[in-house]
Amino acid sequence: MPPSFLKSRNRRLRAVGIAWLALCCSALAQAGTLTVTVKQRNAKPLVGAVITLEAPGLAPVAPISAIMDQVNLAFVPDVLVIPVHSRVQFPNSDAVSHQVYSFSPARQFQLPLYRGKPYPPVVFDKPGVLTLGCNIHDNMLAYIVVTGAPYFGRTGADGQWTSPDLPPGKYSLRVWHPLLNESQELERAVQGGSDSERIELKLLRDLRPAPLKGQPHSWAY
Amino acid sequence: MGVLKRTQVLLLGALVASATSHAAEWELSLDLRAVSSDGRESFLDNGQGKLRFDEDHQGIQLGRLRAALDQPLGEVFSAHVEASTWDDDDKNPIDLTEAYLEYRPYPRAGFKSRVRLGAFYPPMSLESRALGWETPYTITPSAISSWIGEEIRTVGLEGQVDWLGTRLGHSFDLQLTAALFGWNDPAGTMLAAHGFALHDRQTTLFGRVGAPQPDLDKPKKELFHEIDDRAGYYVGAQARYLDRAVLNVLHYDNRADPTAEAPEIRDLAWLTKFDAVALRLESGNGWTAILQALDGITIIDPGFWLDWEFDSQSLLVSRRMGAHMLTARYDEFNVLFRGDPLMSGSEDGNAWALAYSYDSGDRWRFALEWLRVESDVPARVEELGEPAFAIESKLELSVRYSLSGSF
Repeated sequence: MPPSFLKSRNRRLRAVGIAWLALCCSALAQAGTLTVTVKQRNAKPLVGAVITLEAPGLAPVAPISAIMDQVNLAFVPDVLVIPVHSRVQFPNSDAVSHQVYSFSPARQFQLPLYRGKPYPPVVFDKPGVLTLGCNIHDNMLAYIVVTGAPYFGRTGADGQWTSPDLPPGKYSLRVWHPLLNESQELERAVQGGSDSERIELKLLRDLRPAPLKGQPHSWAY
Repeated sequence: MGVLKRTQVLLLGALVASATSHAAEWELSLDLRAVSSDGRESFLDNGQGKLRFDEDHQGIQLGRLRAALDQPLGEVFSAHVEASTWDDDDKNPIDLTEAYLEYRPYPRAGFKSRVRLGAFYPPMSLESRALGWETPYTITPSAISSWIGEEIRTVGLEGQVDWLGTRLGHSFDLQLTAALFGWNDPAGTMLAAHGFALHDRQTTLFGRVGAPQPDLDKPKKELFHEIDDRAGYYVGAQARYLDRAVLNVLHYDNRADPTAEAPEIRDLAWLTKFDAVALRLESGNGWTAILQALDGITIIDPGFWLDWEFDSQSLLVSRRMGAHMLTARYDEFNVLFRGDPLMSGSEDGNAWALAYSYDSGDRWRFALEWLRVESDVPARVEELGEPAFAIESKLELSVRYSLSGSF
């Protein structure tokens, strides 16, 4: 990706109001792994944060085929991370109809998902974060993160993600999570080690409250 | 009601025509009650009691048998019909509470819009969030929602626009609503006749409030009529912070001509205006608080000016623990009659409700409610020879079984 990519994507993402956190230039001397730990302000691990590592000249991961299903009036999964140019199938495992939409700049689309009527997969050619909704069921919410990064993943229950072997070079590391506040800034802690670099990031602000769960389906709104 | 009937026929025609393209969704629910009540003769039987089930209506009762249909008409149009039977002395054994066409285009650039045409509830009660305009917190809704269910229905056209800030990375959403309607000129009749009541008996579109009125000097209690050929309106706004807080305001004015008469229903056009405010707060660990307030006036002028000022407030606190929910609610309500000193129409009252419910999440819901209403109604002395002050209480068990599906 050209250097302007970061800037333009930052602008675009700010436009959709979702905070990406860029940390520049964490240098690795030789091939080795990088372990990123993300902690919330209260020191609890931030689970499910999307970590991307980008470096000039490195190609994105090859496109994949993924699934964003509708189960029990919810998107499954609630966050899907895919390489750019990937295809996503939107089945409907519910008995009721859904009308999935995105008005995010990275990809705008709308899909009427009726039972037993498969829709062709959607291809995502532009990096960015898409917010998905359902025009019939207002509470349904999910995200698709389309990334051009050569390395990416999500933090586990311990708030950690470990990269595979990274070639030497400078990488910019970004963290995204649906509950991060806009303009959130992180503390950074980089620990040394030539073949296993560790970075710990801590949020300076609290996360936004998570969406309420478990409301009976008979509650219309 | 002619136009409404025509609308209904059109709706049904559209349902049949489109039934092949997209699946219609239906719901069916049966709500049975076991009631112990010391209520005075109910307003549904032309009494001055505040409860739906009075002393003479105890034991096993039908709460509501409800059928609803939601039929997509192509991609962005749909039709919704709500039919119920309540097994009381209403005009029709089965009747509609809502029936409307909805236009719901896909959201664009962060804005979502909705247009409804037909008969439906104005967006004002933050407790009536369950199917069939029921409250999930208690069996009996607040005095405000009870009154809306009894006397208010939009029969007309409503437009709504939402700015979906939360889908754009912000923490809040905004909504504006405006509607033009007719066929609600009698709204206010029941407030003047018996004041506020606490009940879940929604008035049906073609029915009346309970038993026939034998007194030929009194209205027939049929509320959805156009009398003066003047459209009413409401405008409303809603702000939501994530899914944790909702603030809703509504200004309603049916713009009725208070001198217009409707001999066929022995009623007048009641000029009714009100402002309603509601706030709902929800926490991540199951707590809900709902604060509602209503303030309005209803006026008639059959050669001499009469008006009733009314207001009500309620506070509900609820805690949900999985399928279990505990709720407490306090209501206050007042009607101040100003006019002929020989007539009385004022009242002053309050109510406490305590409820427990278990919702299995799919088909069964059990609810137990204790309701106590204290009211001071001078009309009881004049009309019934009863004391003006009454404390009525009721213990009610509701067992509801619901089915839903599509075809």
